[in-house]
Amino acid sequence: MPDDIAEVYRNTYPALVRFLYRKVWDAERAEDLAQEAFARALVHRPENTRGWLFVVAANMARDEARRAAREKRHLTLLKSEPDAVHSTPEDDIDAETRTKRVRAALDELTPRDREALLLWDAGMSYDEIAAQTGLARGAIGTTLARARRRLVDAYDAGLEGGQHVARG
Amino acid sequence: MSHVDEGTLHAYLDGELPPAERTALETHLADCATCRATLTEERALRERASAVLGSARPAERPAPPLEQLRREPKRSPWRVRRSFAWAASLALALGLGYSLRTPRASAPLQTPAEPVVVAQNRGASTQEEKPQSQAQSNVQAPAQRRSNDRRQAGAADKLVARDAPRADSVAQVAIRVRGAAALAPATPRLADSMVSGALARAERDRSAAPSVFVDGAPVSKSMAANWPVISRRVAKTILGEEPVGLPGLETRTFRRDPGTNAVMVEQALDSSTVIQIFQRPAGGAYPYDSSEAASASANRAQPRAYNAEGQLRERGNRLFARFVRGLRVEIKGPLSADSLNRLLEQVAPLP
Repeated sequence: MPDDIAEVYRNTYPALVRFLYRKVWDAERAEDLAQEAFARALVHRPENTRGWLFVVAANMARDEARRAAREKRHLTLLKSEPDAVHSTPEDDIDAETRTKRVRAALDELTPRDREALLLWDAGMSYDEIAAQTGLARGAIGTTLARARRRLVDAYDAGLEGGQHVARG
Repeated sequence: MSHVDEGTLHAYLDGELPPAERTALETHLADCATCRATLTEERALRERASAVLGSARPAERPAPPLEQLRREPKRSPWRVRRSFAWAASLALALGLGYSLRTPRASAPLQTPAEPVVVAQNRGASTQEEKPQSQAQSNVQAPAQRRSNDRRQAGAADKLVARDAPRADSVAQVAIRVRGAAALAPATPRLADSMVSGALARAERDRSAAPSVFVDGAPVSKSMAANWPVISRRVAKTILGEEPVGLPGLETRTFRRDPGTNAVMVEQALDSSTVIQIFQRPAGGAYPYDSSEAASASANRAQPRAYNAEGQLRERGNRLFARFVRGLRVEIKGPLSADSLNRLLEQVAPLP
């Protein structure tokens, strides 16, 4: 009997969006992809819905990254000034800056460490992370410890090295 | 036992250490000040990493009804109907929790699907029906939205029955629904804005597909009726200052989001209109919490768009926000956007 997808949807959708967001760095795209993953789950009805979803989502994010690289130039063109002229509240700037820093810090991790960390953050258990990444279960703690340290170090280094000094 | 490696400590902190190892570790920690110190450091690191990661999240919007996510028919008609029926019954079981996706100006569609309430024919039909017939009746389902209110229920028959006892919450839901219904004509694109991107493309060819239209509220707001009631004193403790509300209105209850430090003040505008004022300390880091409600609330801290007055406007949700002293305040109720905005301006610390 497959999992109750409705239940999984309710519990996992936000986590899946978050997981995808930290791969594609576009909130709407992340939502689209998450929905697409669930739509596929509705068709495929996998046995282990949650695990299946994250595998599918990771694959979609990878494809997305390739596509995004191709379209990067267009995006740069589209992101011209008019929108930015609207009084952007400081909070937004801060949020954006923060996101950039986190992204840069995450980029410092090895793909495997990053994946483990993002999966953990999405609510996956060690068993599930092991199943998805191919790491031994006993190695997950060490992987996460390293990933966390690296993330924090890189983030802090970004803060010190960046030209913006934290305002608050 | 020699000193413990950090991987073991992280597994321990993550609650993922097998019982035997955990016992051994705890025994060792009791005797080893060095490892206790390391544990403290690792705990701080772990929390810090969560906070860093947690500061880069997408602004969270309510999930569209699962029923919306159906894909293009590719199999036999029988199969399509069946999966549709299945999805529709899911939408039903999900109920109010799955509310409207917020409109996206960037993803317009040509044919607005009629907002049709899917769930309530369950109220009318008493027995489990075959999926096919259920699907068909779902398509033309009439009103009586409040049977949607119960999210978790698997057996929809129970939904209706369970609606009865809690007159209070039923009344509120009815109010919300009225508000939502009133809103619908003003925003003709609500229905199609529920889908976007790839899904929008998939949906375009099936514009007659029904949409679930329950309420514009984000998930956690709908769940707010289940938040524990607290005293005003506790509310003040959570918020770090006096809770805010509309002066001169009767305050019905204070509630607390179990997952975060958010508080909701319910006030009665008149005998049939309840306004909900959500508030929590502005700024500061929020503890990472993977639970749905917590992350939903936390994410609303990251504003997406401000109007001229600098008030936060969450697209299509009839949920407006501003800062009152140290609190970030959101307001929700079955009123027009203008009214809500005006009410929000009057929000002040409760006397």
